[in-house]
Amino acid sequence: MSAVRGHMQPAMAVVKRDLLLSWSYRLQFVTGIFSGFVSLAVFYYISRLVRVEEFSPEAYFAFAAIGIVIFTVLTSTLQIPQTTLRQELVAGTFERFLLAPWSSAVTVAALLVFPALYALTSVIGLIGVGAAVFGLQLSWATVPLALPIAILSLLAFAPFGVLLLASVIRIKKAPPGANYMIAGLSLIGGLYFPIALLPGWLRWASEAQPLTPAVELLRSTLVGQSLADPAWLSLGKLFAFALVALPASIFVLRRAIDAGRLSGTILEY
Amino acid sequence: MGEAPLLALEGVTKDWGERPVLRDVDLQIESGTATGIVGNNGTGKTTLLRVATGIVVADRGAVRFRGAEIETHRVRFQRELGFLSAGDRGLYARLTVRQNLDFWGGLAGMPGRRRRSRIASVLADFHLGELADRRVDRLSMGQRQRVRIAATFLHEPSLVVLDEPETSLDEVGVALLAEALARLLGQGGAVLIASPEPLDLCSGDWWRLDRGRLEPLGQGIPRQASEAQSPVALATTSAARR
Repeated sequence: MSAVRGHMQPAMAVVKRDLLLSWSYRLQFVTGIFSGFVSLAVFYYISRLVRVEEFSPEAYFAFAAIGIVIFTVLTSTLQIPQTTLRQELVAGTFERFLLAPWSSAVTVAALLVFPALYALTSVIGLIGVGAAVFGLQLSWATVPLALPIAILSLLAFAPFGVLLLASVIRIKKAPPGANYMIAGLSLIGGLYFPIALLPGWLRWASEAQPLTPAVELLRSTLVGQSLADPAWLSLGKLFAFALVALPASIFVLRRAIDAGRLSGTILEY
Repeated sequence: MGEAPLLALEGVTKDWGERPVLRDVDLQIESGTATGIVGNNGTGKTTLLRVATGIVVADRGAVRFRGAEIETHRVRFQRELGFLSAGDRGLYARLTVRQNLDFWGGLAGMPGRRRRSRIASVLADFHLGELADRRVDRLSMGQRQRVRIAATFLHEPSLVVLDEPETSLDEVGVALLAEALARLLGQGGAVLIASPEPLDLCSGDWWRLDRGRLEPLGQGIPRQASEAQSPVALATTSAARR
């Protein structure tokens, strides 16, 4: 069995398990999608209420709608896996991850996959609802490009999720401020307003993380809004994060697991 | 040069902070043999098993599987290792018995066809067939323990490590476990068991863990409950009684 296939099998088992567990709570499975619909409705009416020079109401709704769907994916990918890992520790099921052949770190990192896929699927539905119910104007010619960009964005974002998992391994819960990190990312990533409005001293942070280029590219492909940077530059940033930060974060997770095994605290909760 | 023991602990030392738990523990487990560790609560039996299975790393000393350090040959070691932890945890309450086993098999890297075939085997071996599609949170504690034991044997390990395996088991469950251990030993596998008192699951060498050190308790302690009746007969008789 090749190493890649060897790693894939436990990772796929985790994804399948997460799907089955999620489906066992059917109401939650469905209401997760509904909460995004409510956010869309809120921003639809805000866009009707507020008049700004830069946006028509339709353009601001489209701007905010893409921000909402990205925030949905962001929170799902960053929050759910750390909660799941904490539950694994408490329920005693985490031990099985440590006994799996191949890399425990890759198996643990696989906790990110199902929440990301679920969020991706829900936001596709959400965008459809936005178009059907609220008249969200989609740029149909470039909409198909959004899927590979969304997958690339998820890979660029995964390092944040993996680092949160590493912190759960070491300190047994998500680090204080993890939720603020998500809120902070949504602030500097320009989810609900253009980053040009941010003060200069904060704008560098918008350029130093993958959310901003992901948001730019997805807005451009989904609703045809213009790009601040050339597309190749935004794509390059996402590729760089995925190729450099993802392996680096898995290395950190591996070190966290090894440190827990050495200190003997790995199964504590 | 003779064949290396299946599992060897060499000078294993482990402290919890300032508290010493294991002190220069040496233990060799040969193929086809059973080894038991007894000790009072808190003497370090579980720590010893966690070190032996590579879940926790010793401060000093080495753990070798077929002569190779488990830290540098983890994939090979963990493919051949079956571990049952103490207690009743480690199952997904919302999943069925079959789904739990399927997940454990997937984590063990078993390909789909072999996984399905082995799930069918262990369901039969541990009399879980009728419970296969029942959710785990709807099982009794003894039934859950049988599921955990079935998962331990699922990937056909050559080394099985059991921490207080008789927890919650009725005599049928104990007999089924004894039968599985007999098969494992007959096929050249080995078993390491920890328990507060010696168990009559299979005959083997028993050691007492006291103040971090192992002292021999006795060799070839015979099974008691199965002297008059084989595990199969015992299981059948008990099942008929129900």
